[in-house]
Amino acid sequence: MKLGFSAEEELFRQECAEWLQGQMAGEFRDIKGISTLTAKAERRKEWEQQLAAHKWSCIGWPSEWGGRDATLAQQVIFAEEYARAGVPGRVNHIGIELAGPTILAFGTEEQKQRFLPGIAAGQTIFCQGFSEPGAGSDLASVRTKGRLENGEWVVNGQKIWTSLAHISDWIFVVTRTEEGSKGPKGLTFLMMELDQPGIEVRGIKQINGDAEFNETFFTDARCAADSMIGGVGEGWKIAMGLLAFERGVSTLGQQMAFRNELDEIIAAAKETGAARNPLIRQRIAKAEIGLRLMRYGALRMLSNTDHSKIDGAALTYKIQWATWRRSLGELAMDVLGQAGELAEGADYEWPVLSNLFLYSRADTIYGGTNQIQRNLIAERGLGLPREPRGDA
Amino acid sequence: MDFRFTDDQLTLAESVRDYLAGTHGPEVLRRLDAEGNRDPAIWQGLTEMGLTGLLVPEEHGGLGLGLVEAALIAAECGRACLAEPLVDTAFVAVPWLVRNGDLADLGAIAAGERQMPLPHVLNPWVADGEGSALESVDPLRNLVMFPAAGSADPYLLDLGALMSAAQLVGLADAMLHQAVEYAKIRTQFGQPVGAFQALKHQLASCAVAVEFAKPAVWRAAEALQDGGESASVHVSHAKVAASDAAVLTAETAIQVHGAMGYTYEVDLHFWMKRSWALNGAWGDRAWHLKRIDQAVIGGTMPIGPEHTFA
Repeated sequence: MKLGFSAEEELFRQECAEWLQGQMAGEFRDIKGISTLTAKAERRKEWEQQLAAHKWSCIGWPSEWGGRDATLAQQVIFAEEYARAGVPGRVNHIGIELAGPTILAFGTEEQKQRFLPGIAAGQTIFCQGFSEPGAGSDLASVRTKGRLENGEWVVNGQKIWTSLAHISDWIFVVTRTEEGSKGPKGLTFLMMELDQPGIEVRGIKQINGDAEFNETFFTDARCAADSMIGGVGEGWKIAMGLLAFERGVSTLGQQMAFRNELDEIIAAAKETGAARNPLIRQRIAKAEIGLRLMRYGALRMLSNTDHSKIDGAALTYKIQWATWRRSLGELAMDVLGQAGELAEGADYEWPVLSNLFLYSRADTIYGGTNQIQRNLIAERGLGLPREPRGDA
Repeated sequence: MDFRFTDDQLTLAESVRDYLAGTHGPEVLRRLDAEGNRDPAIWQGLTEMGLTGLLVPEEHGGLGLGLVEAALIAAECGRACLAEPLVDTAFVAVPWLVRNGDLADLGAIAAGERQMPLPHVLNPWVADGEGSALESVDPLRNLVMFPAAGSADPYLLDLGALMSAAQLVGLADAMLHQAVEYAKIRTQFGQPVGAFQALKHQLASCAVAVEFAKPAVWRAAEALQDGGESASVHVSHAKVAASDAAVLTAETAIQVHGAMGYTYEVDLHFWMKRSWALNGAWGDRAWHLKRIDQAVIGGTMPIGPEHTFA
C-alpha cells in the first residue's frame, strides 16, 4: 500500500487547484457553490466549453479525442480539486462519463469521429433514456419501440427520469427493436438528437421544488440507421457496459463534495450548540466513520487494476454511499432543529443543508434502488439463489 | 496512491489462512471446548510458521515485519476463531515492547517460549495471562484479572484496538460465510431460504458492512505503522467499523440459522461470542466514537477543504 501521492502528482494537484480556483474567483465566480443540477444552465454550458478550451473537460480520455490520457491518480486528483474549489456539478457528466466512454468502447471509428469531439468540447450535451414508466427496477422490460424504415430508425414510446433532458442536445435510448421479444433480448442502443418534432420533453417537479429530470415522449422520432451503438439486438450488452462506467473515478470527487457537506454540518452544529449534545456528537462521529469507509473502499476499488472485474467493493459501493448520504441529510435536519423547516425565500428555494436532506431522498432510489443493490450483492456477490421471477 | 497489498503480503496471509483452515477447523474448537481450551501443538504450529516472531526484529530472531502484515494475519486468526494468545502476544505486546526499547523477552517470544498478553487501564482483564481466573462468555477465552493495574499508554491501547478490529473483520467474514452456506441448503416453502429477499437482503447488508470495514482496518494499520498524528483516530474508525460489522453479522447469522442458531451444537456461537468479547475489548464502540467526535468536532483532526482525507 502506498497511500500518499507522488511529488509529481502533488504538482499536478497544484496545477488543477490553481486553475480551478482561479476560474471560480474570476470569470466563472457567478456559478461557484451552486448545489442544484439545473441552476444557471446556460452559464454552466459555457463552463463546459471553458473546461474544454483548457483541456480539462475529459482528462481520462485518450489524447487523440481531446483528453489527456490521465492516470487514475491524476483523475482522482482532478475530481478532488474540482469539488474542493466549489465548482458546480458537470451538466454534461452523462456525456463525459457515460456516453463518451461507451462510444470509445463500442462505437465505430465513424461514430467516434461524429460524436466524441462535440462531447469533449462541451458542445454536445447528452442525457440518458433508460427508465420507462413500466421499466424502473426491472429495466429490461423496456417497451419503447424502434423500427428501421427507409434507412432510418423510427422510435415510439416514452422514457422517464431523463435527467437534464431539457438542456441536452442528444439522448441515448434503449429501444425494443425485435417485435415480440422480452427482457434483455431484442434491444438496441440508439443515439438520437433531441431537437426534432418527434420528441417532446416535459419537466417533473421534485420534492425539493427543482425539476432536474423529465418525461421524454417519442412519436415517430427519427435517427440515422448508423446512430446505433453495437449491433441490432445488442442494446442490453451496451447498456450494461455503460453502467459499469458509472462506478468510475467520479466517485472520489463525489466524496470531496460529501466531505464539504459533513464539514458544513459540523460547523452548523457548533453554531447552533447542537455540537454539545452527546447524541448529535455520536452521529457526527458515525458520519465521519462512514465517509472514511467510503473513501478507503473507493480507493481500494480503483486500485484494482482489472476494472472489468466486479469485486466486492464495487458491488457494495452504491448502497454504502447512498445510505450514508440519506442519513447525512437527516443529521443535517437534526442539527438545524426547527430552522430546517425554513425555505430560503418565497420561491421554495432551500439552503444547502435543507436541500441536502430533500435531495438525498433520491440517492437510495436512482441508479438501482437499495433493494435492487441488495439483490445484486446477495446473488452476484454471495452466490445466493435468485429470487423467483416472473417470465416477463 | 495504491490501496493494494504486495504479492508477499497476500502470499503470507494466504499461507496462514490455508494452514489454519487445514489444522484449526470447527472440530478443533469443539475438542478444545471439551478438553481444556489449549493444546500446545497449536502454539507449536504457530511458532513454526514464524508467527510468534512476525514483528520481532530480525536481530532478535523474528521476521521483522510490520503492522499491516500483522493485521492481515490477525484477520485470519479471527476467521479461524483462534483462541491461542498469538495476537495479544505477538501483534500487541511485541510492537509495544519494541517501541519502549524493552527487548529482553523478544527472543523468547519469537521462539514460542513466552506468551505475554498485556493489560491496559481500559482493558484490565486479558486472556491467557497470570492472575485470578474469570469466566468469559467466550468458552475458549481463558480470561484473568491482572493483579496489578495495566499501562495507560495510548499506543498499547491503539495496538490492542487495531488488532481486535482486524480479528473482528475475520470473524465477521467467517460468520457471513457460514450463514450464506446455510441459507443455500436450508429449504422451506419449497426453496432455499436464501432465495427469499427477507434473508438475502440482511446478508447483503452484512456483506456491505464487512467489505467497507476491511479497508478501514488496513488504513489504520498503515497509519499506526507510520506513526502519524492522526493514527489513533484511524484506529478508532477501524474498531467501530469492524465491531459494527461483526456484531451485525453475528446477529444476522444466528437469525438466518433459525432455532438451530440458538443451539450450542451449531459452531456459529464460538465466532459470535468471540465477536462479543472483542467488541468490548480495548475500548468499546462508545469509547472510540467519543475519541472520533472529539477529534472531528474538537478540531484535533484536520478537516475542511484545505485538507485531503486519505
